Amino acid sequence: MNKIRMIQPTRKIGKKKQAYHGVGWRFSYPGNFLIWGILVVTMGLVLTPLAFMVVSSVMPYREVMRIPFRWIPTSFHWQNYWQAIRGNDGSFIYLRNILNSFFVASMVTLTTVFISAMAGYGLAKLPFRGRNLVFILIMATMMVPFEAIMIPLYLIVTKFGWQDSYIGLIIPLMVNAFGIFLMRQFLISFPDAVIDSARIEGASEFRIFWNIVLPNAIPAVVALGILTFRQQWDNLIWPLLITQSEEMKTIPLYIVRFNSEKYTNEGALMAVAMIASLPIIILFFSMARYFTGGLTISGMKD
Amino acid sequence: MKYNSRRGSLGKYKAIGGWIFVAPALFYFALFSFYPIINAFYTSTLQKDILSLQPPKFIGLENYVYLFRSEDFWKSAEATAVFTLGCFIPLATVSLLLAVFIYSRSKPFQNFLQMAYFSPAILSTVAAAVVWLLVFDPRGLANQWVNFIANTPGIDHKWLALSHMVRFSTVIIYFWKYIGYFTIIYFAGLSNIPRTYYEAAKVDGASSWTQFWSITLPLVKPTIVLVSIIAMIQCMRTFSTQYLFTESGAATEPINVITLNIYRTAMRDRYIGRASAMSIVLFFIILIFSWLQLKVSKTEKISYI
Repeated sequence: MNKIRMIQPTRKIGKKKQAYHGVGWRFSYPGNFLIWGILVVTMGLVLTPLAFMVVSSVMPYREVMRIPFRWIPTSFHWQNYWQAIRGNDGSFIYLRNILNSFFVASMVTLTTVFISAMAGYGLAKLPFRGRNLVFILIMATMMVPFEAIMIPLYLIVTKFGWQDSYIGLIIPLMVNAFGIFLMRQFLISFPDAVIDSARIEGASEFRIFWNIVLPNAIPAVVALGILTFRQQWDNLIWPLLITQSEEMKTIPLYIVRFNSEKYTNEGALMAVAMIASLPIIILFFSMARYFTGGLTISGMKD
Repeated sequence: MKYNSRRGSLGKYKAIGGWIFVAPALFYFALFSFYPIINAFYTSTLQKDILSLQPPKFIGLENYVYLFRSEDFWKSAEATAVFTLGCFIPLATVSLLLAVFIYSRSKPFQNFLQMAYFSPAILSTVAAAVVWLLVFDPRGLANQWVNFIANTPGIDHKWLALSHMVRFSTVIIYFWKYIGYFTIIYFAGLSNIPRTYYEAAKVDGASSWTQFWSITLPLVKPTIVLVSIIAMIQCMRTFSTQYLFTESGAATEPINVITLNIYRTAMRDRYIGRASAMSIVLFFIILIFSWLQLKVSKTEKISYI
């Protein structure tokens, strides 16, 4: 129960707390100022590299590496972004790689959410013999780190001839046990009466799932979706193993490549990093509640 | 539940439905989780080269014997251990402190500070590593700031060249990236502590230090253990930062963590058997910690009532 409550937007939890505020636990005055000091300084340190990325993405490279570094650019050098997209060789391959990342991450997110919701519903609401065993088996896969099975997965995927293709990029990441766990925990408190009445009305099991259960599991679906998308957007190791051609590479691989190219200028490199981070930043600012909401329950997942 | 319809009892009907709903996931895991791990066990007993057409040769446990004798593997294990220890201890402690500090602020600041500390986590790992490469550049911010604070103008601290400094640099990046993540987990743990305990302590005249020491810490202990294990497992699985560092010319040996070593052994040296044996070792280490995590997350929370 506890876990389910945490998935709700944090705002809700906050409201409850506010009522108690003022009678709670406070530090004494000198301590209070010290703590503000520590918080502000550490926050500054944490935000510095981000600010560095943003500022130097519009700087000519001479200014990026200037000693001492000047935080205000003398002129806005938007050409960096053009160069980031164009690439050092003028091939515009970055655009293709961005599309690849979008496609792969969205497909993986869709399948993860859908299959996890299905399995979660089955495990939470439809008793069958061996259900606990199935649940334990699925949970056991959470203990298998991807890094330990990547070589056999690579062998399997090459055996099917899927290397350097979208199907090879997507298939081994299609579901994860954590998603199933999350959906099951969320759905276990769903009222049985609603499901039963739908069943009496003659709705098929799939109809119940699609029209009744899924719309009511939106918070869990969104949290899982964001988590999965972010994870796949970030994924370096699997595309690194499986892709060979530049056309099939994803954003992290492009960054690695752009970084090691001889004619790369630092400003353009930061522009590449900015572009790579932008979709997740937008997602973060539009759905911050779900971001942190998913995190608190996600605990056990990268 | 005894309920007769044309399709037989409702229980049976539900059971069939249950199997149908679970089947895709089960099928998927059989193929892409259980089979690979079994396959890894099997492959680890073979002498196998990806590119060679010859059938792989069965050599029993020789790959493991080789690993435990090779200096390279032990250095990797050391690199992983140093990275893990260097990362998870500061992560687990500093984020607790930050969470406690943030928790004592007023509501709007709480939200703002949590978001601010969390913000590095929204950068993709590789993008973050690229930014830090520039910060650690000899002309970069790291040198400038350290020199400014220590008042040692013009000294290059060789963040990416000296072996202990490269390790330190990777730890800094990881720490920076995940500090907000764990702060939020702790924050959730702290908000579950009933306020009444603090009120009672205040009435009894306990200082904020005593309150922290005898209320917060014992009650947040399960979260501490959980966070430590999660952080440990995550640190053991680190790959991207180290990969990017080695690709951009940093010394490989000190940051050749096990995951990176698996990748290099399999893809560059093409010793699939050896890489699988290493995967199995990594699997068992992480299995132990995951099992611990499961144990811990199931244990009852301490209660004062």
